[in-house]
Amino acid sequence: METIEIKNHQDKKHGITSFFYKWMREAYLPTLTMIFFFVLWEVLIRLLEVPRYILPAPLAIFKEFGKNFPLIWSHTLVTANETFIGFAIAVVVGVPLSICVAFSETLRRTVYVGSVALGMVPTIAFAPLFVVWFGFAFASKMVVVFWVCFFPILINGIFGFISLSDELKYFSQSTGANQITTFWKIRLPAALPQVFLGLKGGAINATIGATIAEWIGGSAGLGYYIQVATGDFNMRLALASIIMLTLVGLLLYFLVVLVEIKLIPWHESQRDNV
Amino acid sequence: MKRKWLTGNRITIFYGTLLIIIWECWLRLFEIPVYLLPKPSGIVVKFIQHFPLILEYTWITGIESFGGFFVSIALGIPLSLFIAFSDFLRKTLYPSIVALQLVPKIALAPLFVTWFGFGMMPKFIIVFLLCFFPILLNAILGFTSLRQELQNFALSTGADPLTVFWKVRLPAALPQIFVGFKWAAVNATVGATIGEWIGGDAGLGYYIQIASGDMKMDLAFAIIVMLAFLGLVLYFLVVVFEKILTPWHVSQRSSVHGGGMVGMQ
Amino acid sequence: MVDEFIRLEGASKCYDSKKGPINAVAPMDLSINRGEFVSFLGPSGCGKSTMMMMIAGLLGCTEGSIHIDGERVVKPQTNIGIVFQNLVLVDWRDVLGNVLLQVEMRKLKVKDYETKARELLASVGLEDFLNHHPYELSGGMQQRAAFCRALVHDPPLVLMDEPLGALDAMTREQLRKDLEKLWMATGKTFVFVTHDISEAVQLSDRVIIISPRPGRVDAEFTIDLPRPRDFNVMQSDKFHHYVKEISSIFMRYGVI
Repeated sequence: METIEIKNHQDKKHGITSFFYKWMREAYLPTLTMIFFFVLWEVLIRLLEVPRYILPAPLAIFKEFGKNFPLIWSHTLVTANETFIGFAIAVVVGVPLSICVAFSETLRRTVYVGSVALGMVPTIAFAPLFVVWFGFAFASKMVVVFWVCFFPILINGIFGFISLSDELKYFSQSTGANQITTFWKIRLPAALPQVFLGLKGGAINATIGATIAEWIGGSAGLGYYIQVATGDFNMRLALASIIMLTLVGLLLYFLVVLVEIKLIPWHESQRDNV
Repeated sequence: MKRKWLTGNRITIFYGTLLIIIWECWLRLFEIPVYLLPKPSGIVVKFIQHFPLILEYTWITGIESFGGFFVSIALGIPLSLFIAFSDFLRKTLYPSIVALQLVPKIALAPLFVTWFGFGMMPKFIIVFLLCFFPILLNAILGFTSLRQELQNFALSTGADPLTVFWKVRLPAALPQIFVGFKWAAVNATVGATIGEWIGGDAGLGYYIQIASGDMKMDLAFAIIVMLAFLGLVLYFLVVVFEKILTPWHVSQRSSVHGGGMVGMQ
Repeated sequence: MVDEFIRLEGASKCYDSKKGPINAVAPMDLSINRGEFVSFLGPSGCGKSTMMMMIAGLLGCTEGSIHIDGERVVKPQTNIGIVFQNLVLVDWRDVLGNVLLQVEMRKLKVKDYETKARELLASVGLEDFLNHHPYELSGGMQQRAAFCRALVHDPPLVLMDEPLGALDAMTREQLRKDLEKLWMATGKTFVFVTHDISEAVQLSDRVIIISPRPGRVDAEFTIDLPRPRDFNVMQSDKFHHYVKEISSIFMRYGVI
């Protein structure tokens, strides 16, 4: 009799509560860990009486964030503008260019090689040049963001469009389709996953570009504000701004992911949540 | 059909040289001031003129980049082992690390300068932060993706965990680990440059800032060339080690650098 | 009545490499009739795939010539269907879409071919999988779809390069039956490349034995067995006799 009762009890776990248990099982450990670290942070600061100009406690950061919200928000909007528009331009220029480069050996040996070389130089080194050329206004910030997003998008795009397996090549040839048909029906869909890898790489870089641009010649934006806050030893504000900056980057990244899900629902990365 | 002369590497050399020549002539012809765009000849001249100082600063930036890079390896690889082989740590620590990876660490540069002053320390820390995460995450990926068949094989030999690690897990993980190393190598000099820019008194990044502040773009470009060269040296060091340690791997067989995201700042 | 469809005359293939010229295919004379099921049988690396590619026009002849239906092959042939060993189905289309890709690439009207595509897929048992993506199917199912794609535009000639090579034994047996069924239903000329002796005997009207590199036609076997070649036929003495004869040739080569 006992064994049957135990079985019944276990069966109860399916159904309503199983969903709750599943969520608990998967998310509770990481969430608990993060909460643990925040609490630890708060406790250590208070215990060791760390002055707030060295490292502020999480609660203090939140307080400061709340106090200065309107200002932080206006800076966020400025940076967001630079980030999103610069990224968009990089996509509009980078993707078509990567197609052209993939199909021309001359372009590959010049534009591609040059891009790899230029991309290795820290953007901040070119930033003053951009300011000289485009002024201190919005335009130069956009150029820096463009620069920083352009290389991952271009280089990954080239990879995507260059590769065509032998078998697919033979298949296209056997159908007698011309280059354009082969491109639209085979090369383009096949390239999309790699193109999106480049877009995601660009999205990650975008906020960094905006920050650097604002450091060089800015009077608004989160990067600029971080510098100002740090100069005033207001670490709480600086960290709060960094959090906002992260969120802007995350937003752009997830927008790209959304488009990716719409455009390539068949791809592996949509199946495995990699 | 006549065989084309302009093929392969010659295309790069030909157009590269053509570009430099046009660049030089255009600027001379239209008398474009140096602060808008420097002439290649001017860059070379300034490079030679200021070579001693450039070299000295290269040494400093080099120490910051290479040092931060190697420290992140020294800390990152052991930590990756702990995380990869402990279920508990993987479920708790790993998501937090992935979350931290999303924070644009470069934006923290002003804070580090405020905390640690103008010396080498803040640069080290920035380089370390930029290198640490890719190295750590790729190493964890490498150690945790041992194929099931290899795991079963290792178990069937009855070997102790240490032997399994040295003979199977580590070699299998090396290619992915090197992906992390290459990524970090590209970013190391970036971190050092930004650190010097925000708060430095020495180094190539600092020097570029000074030069461009004075509108001496030819000097700035000369230093940029040196900076790029420094980054390449570190990258190629990693590539050489990769060839030595994993000569058997697919990526070493052809000259295709395929797969995965390319080109991060 | 013999109706010659494909003719190879002294066709050979020679590659330049750093270590000197590589003779892949020695000058070959061969004739394939319309509606025949012909196998190129030989050990790995003997050049049989190269021969198939030459017939398809995807590789050129170094010497000699190949004629299909009286016309010389000088460029990639388009009036063919082609199936490879490794999956040539595209990730981003479902099964029906993959078959219709053949039609779309040729700028033909999809509407005209959709029924045919569905019929072909149903005849190989894939009628419930029309909207599935390749990654959701097993290897055998994917190859069945590949066969349908090679047939949907009604080409007179179908070339197959070890299409069953990547599949497990049971799936291979099933697919051989399906392949024979398709051939008998469509009456097309099938050129089939394989290294499996009993597979060649089971499927073909004629088996062409290719020697190890440089490949040349060493022997031809006309397989006189009733169709469809079911389990009983495969157990018959005659079947075993063919397999034994062909095996002894390969033993002479030292490959078995």
